[in-house]
Amino acid sequence: MDFRLSPAQQILTTTARAFLRQHCPPELVQRLALDERGFDEALWRRMAELGWPGLMIPSDLGGSDGTLLDVILLVEEMGRAGLPGPFVTSAVVATSLVLAAGSPAQHKRMLPTLAAGERIASLALVEESGSFEPASVGLACAVAGRLSGRKLFVKDAHVADDLVVAVRIGAALSLLVVPTDRPGIARLPLDAISGEKLFEVTFDRVEVRPDDLLGRVGDGAALLPPALRAGALARTAEMVGGAQRVLELVVEHAKTRVQGGRPIGGYQAIQHACADLVRDVDAARALLYAAAWKDAEGRAAEADAALAKAYAADACLAVARRGHQIFGAISYCEEHPLHLLHKRIQAASLDFGDAQLHLETVARAIGLEGRL
Amino acid sequence: MNFDFTEAEQAFADEVRRFLRANPPETFAVDGMDAGYGSGANSRAFMRALGAQGWLSMCWPKSLGGREQPMFMKLVLMEELALAGAPFGPLAGVWQTADAIIELGTGRLRREVLPAIARGETAFWQGYSEPDAGSDLLALKTEARRDGDDYVIRGHKIWSSHAGIATHGLVFARTSREARRSRGFSMFVVANSTPGMDIRPIRSMTGEVYHHEVFLDDVRVPADLMLGPPGEGFQALLNGLDADRFWGRFYKAPALARVLRQLVDYANTTRVGGAPLAHDPSVRRRLAAIAADIAALRLVFYRAGCLIRDGAPLTYETAMAKVYADETGQKLARLAMDLLGIWGPLREGSRWAKLGGHISHLYQTTLGHTIAGGTAEILRTSVAVRGLGLPAEPRAAVESKAR
Repeated sequence: MDFRLSPAQQILTTTARAFLRQHCPPELVQRLALDERGFDEALWRRMAELGWPGLMIPSDLGGSDGTLLDVILLVEEMGRAGLPGPFVTSAVVATSLVLAAGSPAQHKRMLPTLAAGERIASLALVEESGSFEPASVGLACAVAGRLSGRKLFVKDAHVADDLVVAVRIGAALSLLVVPTDRPGIARLPLDAISGEKLFEVTFDRVEVRPDDLLGRVGDGAALLPPALRAGALARTAEMVGGAQRVLELVVEHAKTRVQGGRPIGGYQAIQHACADLVRDVDAARALLYAAAWKDAEGRAAEADAALAKAYAADACLAVARRGHQIFGAISYCEEHPLHLLHKRIQAASLDFGDAQLHLETVARAIGLEGRL
Repeated sequence: MNFDFTEAEQAFADEVRRFLRANPPETFAVDGMDAGYGSGANSRAFMRALGAQGWLSMCWPKSLGGREQPMFMKLVLMEELALAGAPFGPLAGVWQTADAIIELGTGRLRREVLPAIARGETAFWQGYSEPDAGSDLLALKTEARRDGDDYVIRGHKIWSSHAGIATHGLVFARTSREARRSRGFSMFVVANSTPGMDIRPIRSMTGEVYHHEVFLDDVRVPADLMLGPPGEGFQALLNGLDADRFWGRFYKAPALARVLRQLVDYANTTRVGGAPLAHDPSVRRRLAAIAADIAALRLVFYRAGCLIRDGAPLTYETAMAKVYADETGQKLARLAMDLLGIWGPLREGSRWAKLGGHISHLYQTTLGHTIAGGTAEILRTSVAVRGLGLPAEPRAAVESKAR
């Protein structure tokens, strides 16, 4: 057993941390959260120059042959910095779907541009049920026909060039890749406290061509679970990184904020709260790494990923809430970085399945009979 | 990163499993209460069986009769034993004492005590706490006075686990009056048969005896039974407590995983209001959530184990892990009592007791875990001060200075 990062992984994380400290300071995170578009093209291009969007893509298609574990380590740093944007939905989820199911033509057309950050893709899955379970997809489409209906909570749809859309062809769950500029597609912003850019995407008799199909008809049921697991783990990494940052900010504050003649970190009430934050972050990170490692090794990791995400949702949100209490009034201000980290953790805890959904997966894995 | 055992570790785990199949844990006679930590009851017979396998001394140097196995083998052994519910109560204490004797012990301790440890014939009680020295160990009053080649110990120890059935005590006493509070303490390995010791049981809230108080009335101990250099006992004690947090709690995650399996079976097979308990959404969620806690707890301990194996510095890891272990145990015991409802409080052996009546026992014993071996409060302070660098309050300053 070994919890240490490989030398290459250490380089990846230290490079990422230094880069994000310089190019994604809290002021930028704040500005992007308040900005309607909230997407920094220059920053995205710089990230692309570092090869980040192509981390999961094979080198012969313009990527750098990374594993899901590498991606998780990178996204943890992004979470630490509070970096907003389409990285997870595009470079992790949509990219892994195209990788897994794309035809040679689709690979050639999409992967080099995704790797170079020149194209952005997002996943359109959730409908009015609010569920991330593939079984709940109802949007109907006939091949070479027309698509009408809507998807909700589509992340960064406004900057996406393509949408991977989960649909029913007959009864068969299937995936389409549809460019966002196709006539009949409209993107309507949702307004969430996190500042993340979420959209309702409506399809009004949108033309669907045979070569829009990703994989074969009915492949969606097999393709979606691993991609959603990658998304869930990436969002877990964001939570862990965010909670780590909250812990660092809180400890710094506890050492320097003087009340009653001494730093508040000298009082046991604060010390004990901080000790719990360390446990929450360490334990969440351990589960995350173990699940991502197992997934990257090609082993069955469904229960591990579910466990990691459910645990992190609870633990990292507890870190954020406790962080507010330790910081006191100043953390209630918009200009203070804590609330954005908090809301990002909140958003990540819900994306790709909330704790309730993942705990049900765990419940089955530990042998509880029946399914709700 | 790698979350697998090595081939050798896996082969050893398989060997332990075969041993447990051939020697079912429940067939060994039990001599002392299961304190709920996860290492089961005290069983001399089981300890001797471990000794006969060569497992107690497997990590020792060859020159002392060991086989120089890597330290991780001990983790593998403890995990398998706990998963099987084996009665290995004294094991962690035995190993810690052996390690201290190998590192610091006199020739006499090595000659006389180590072979008995290897055979599984010893168990050690800790003579640390006193009536007026609980969390504040520096307040202890027991004194060891030099007299020729001996020390003469006089004092009153308390909360010593299984002292009545153990073979030796590790007695912490003041040996000189130095200006610095943390200096001047020494540790002695005292055989229970030594004249002058009065070991009295304290009946616990479970109705059984686990703790004892020990009155030492001019107990004469040869100077070469001192463990470590004279006057440096406090550092040895802190190291011991640090190790205790790790070794004395490592098996909690697998032991809790075993209880969880029983609760899952119970939920699947028990009908409440016409439907299996397992169909109740809140039951599913609570059991799943604690499964996540247990999985996280296991990794937190293995991570600390890797740091120990690799010789990396530890600051907060074992203190944090201990609090987490003990609070997770309490959480599982509470959940188990909730699931069992009116059947929960029935004792082992009672008519109508469910799950062997073990849950009521677990519920009671786990209450003591956040107190024994460093209270959760002391340990949280330690995490904050030693791990995060928060400013120490006056009392914590003494402990961190001693390091």
